[in-house]
Amino acid sequence: MSKVGIIANPVSARDIRRIISHAGNLPINDRANIVLRILTGLYTTGVEEVLVMPELGGIRAQLLRTIERESKMGTFRFPKVTYLDMPVTGTAEDSVEAARQMHDQDVGAIVVLGGDGTSRVVVSACGNTPVAGVSTGTNNAFPELREPTVTGLAVGLAVTGQVPSKYAFSFNKRLEVRVNDKREIALVDVCVVAERYIGARAIWKTDNFRDLFVTFGRPDGIGMSSVVGLLAPLDRETPEGRRVQLVPVGETENRLSAPIAPGLIEDIGIGVVETMKPNQLYQPSVSEGSFALDGERELTFSETDDVSIRLQIDAFRTINVLDCMTYSAKHGLLTSKANNRLARLIKNGRTS
Amino acid sequence: MSNPFPLDKGKLLHAYRQMKTIREFEERLHVDFGRGDIPGFVHLYAGEEASGVGIMMHLEDHDRIASTHRGHGHCIAKGVDVKGMMAEIYGKSTGSCAGKGGSMHIADLSKGMMGANGILGAGAPLICGAALAAQKLGHDGVGITFFGDGASNQGTVLESMNLAAIWNLPVLFVVENNGYAEATSVDYAVASDSFVDRAAGFGMPGITVDGTDFFAVYEAAGEIIKRAREGAGPTLLECKMIRFFGHFEGDAQTYRAPGENTENRKNRDCLKIFRTKVTEAGVLSEKELNTIDDEVMILIDEAVEEAQAAPLPTLEDLTKDVYVSY
Repeated sequence: MSKVGIIANPVSARDIRRIISHAGNLPINDRANIVLRILTGLYTTGVEEVLVMPELGGIRAQLLRTIERESKMGTFRFPKVTYLDMPVTGTAEDSVEAARQMHDQDVGAIVVLGGDGTSRVVVSACGNTPVAGVSTGTNNAFPELREPTVTGLAVGLAVTGQVPSKYAFSFNKRLEVRVNDKREIALVDVCVVAERYIGARAIWKTDNFRDLFVTFGRPDGIGMSSVVGLLAPLDRETPEGRRVQLVPVGETENRLSAPIAPGLIEDIGIGVVETMKPNQLYQPSVSEGSFALDGERELTFSETDDVSIRLQIDAFRTINVLDCMTYSAKHGLLTSKANNRLARLIKNGRTS
Repeated sequence: MSNPFPLDKGKLLHAYRQMKTIREFEERLHVDFGRGDIPGFVHLYAGEEASGVGIMMHLEDHDRIASTHRGHGHCIAKGVDVKGMMAEIYGKSTGSCAGKGGSMHIADLSKGMMGANGILGAGAPLICGAALAAQKLGHDGVGITFFGDGASNQGTVLESMNLAAIWNLPVLFVVENNGYAEATSVDYAVASDSFVDRAAGFGMPGITVDGTDFFAVYEAAGEIIKRAREGAGPTLLECKMIRFFGHFEGDAQTYRAPGENTENRKNRDCLKIFRTKVTEAGVLSEKELNTIDDEVMILIDEAVEEAQAAPLPTLEDLTKDVYVSY
């Protein structure tokens, strides 16, 4: 039976970046609507069951109300929805536990609502299960901006085997940060900041920035990876990373204005830019501080700690939505048997 | 190792002392109320200390706060005299309000504490008035109103958010979300479960922080309050937190999951979290913190002894202090 997991954590995209800049706030009701649209795509492509992370933030309540209402109306077009049996803490830890359970229950893929931070915590716990990001977070460098209905279709086509694996899945790079025996990952960027405490997690005080490590950086990207995107762009596929030494603006003439968060374009002092090689260990340029992983401070370190940053390639899989839909178009996967004439016309290059 | 925190050692010690004082104050009330020593009713703030202290560390006496029925922690964090508070709760004439207010009406305007409040959501319009005064008088004072997830449904709160937004008032709306409106889960009782969404509905920024982490609250509140002083207008801050005791003293808490209180005390105690962070960072020592523990215990013991020994208000006191001049 084809199963898919959906993680929609209501606590994502609620941090201080809504104060320091004008980062977006996707309402709970819209998050529930997004889940419903994903479900529609999954149902259409033959996914039979969806495991959903439980939460107490309101998404579940609206989802269940809608499913019940549409069942009564006879317009029900969703797979069977099952909530995981797990305690709800109302924190990012719920996403971790849900990813772990979904992996253990052999879902074909996990759809994640969120930005870089939420995607990161899910990938850290889901083993080799592919993920599909739905861009609803603060910084959305990792999840591509796309209508969730289409993401649902692509995920369904992939996990039901209608699209061959070589088209359905992409392999991705990631960064591993180690502080003594503790290891964490980042999907897009690791920023070393001079302040050795976590606080409200988000980073915005640029004078404290010391190093930036990225897996990729697009010129039109948002978040810290935009620094690389604007200096020496790097795509998701090339098996290398970038390291940029960052210095306080007052100490250098090399400055870059970069959109380090939605609505926050800051001058950043730029030092040396270098290529990161896979599996090579890199050290931060300061002896104490914190690591911000995909935009949020997560780990602190001091001069007594043994720390390193390493680029890993082919580290985890994502659903390649564009290739799934391209394959679907090419092979008529969404044309129905009752409409064989349409399929023949497409095959013959005639649609009218 | 250097101090990694945005507070010097003296302020860290002060923060711990404030949180510990609230904790011991409430733990003592839990015992004394259960023994029948205290008249009226008490709602305890234990478990929620990081919110009140993390916010109030940024305030001065000219900044105003409006509290809730669960107001002891806010009072202590705002600098109200602990012995006066204890006497007030004991209903004695030496109390903060001459023993005529009790737990739910402790106030001290000299400290900017406009009062605990027995009416849910009633602090929000009061603080809009205080913030309007600050705005018109041209000083940098801010107003902070606290309310719970239950009171967030009160019309007064929503109307106040609208007023604060259109007048760009220097107000911080703090939702202390401990998950229960009395005995009712927030999941059931709040149609738009995200309080941040409600702020957005008034064009007001809102964020959520881990209310068990003093440093998360401190940093977020600091940024919000700084901006409010500079004219950025109102903001909503949701602190997700834990209440160690029931809604009121005597609450059987049958609505909680088995072991929930034990788990909370073990893993989500904001004092333990604070203590671990500052000692692991090598900034404060166990000895220094233990000394504060001992001093706080003495303070609370003295507060109770003095409250018990103090006289009750007399019949002649009944008509005094009915009106207060600001």
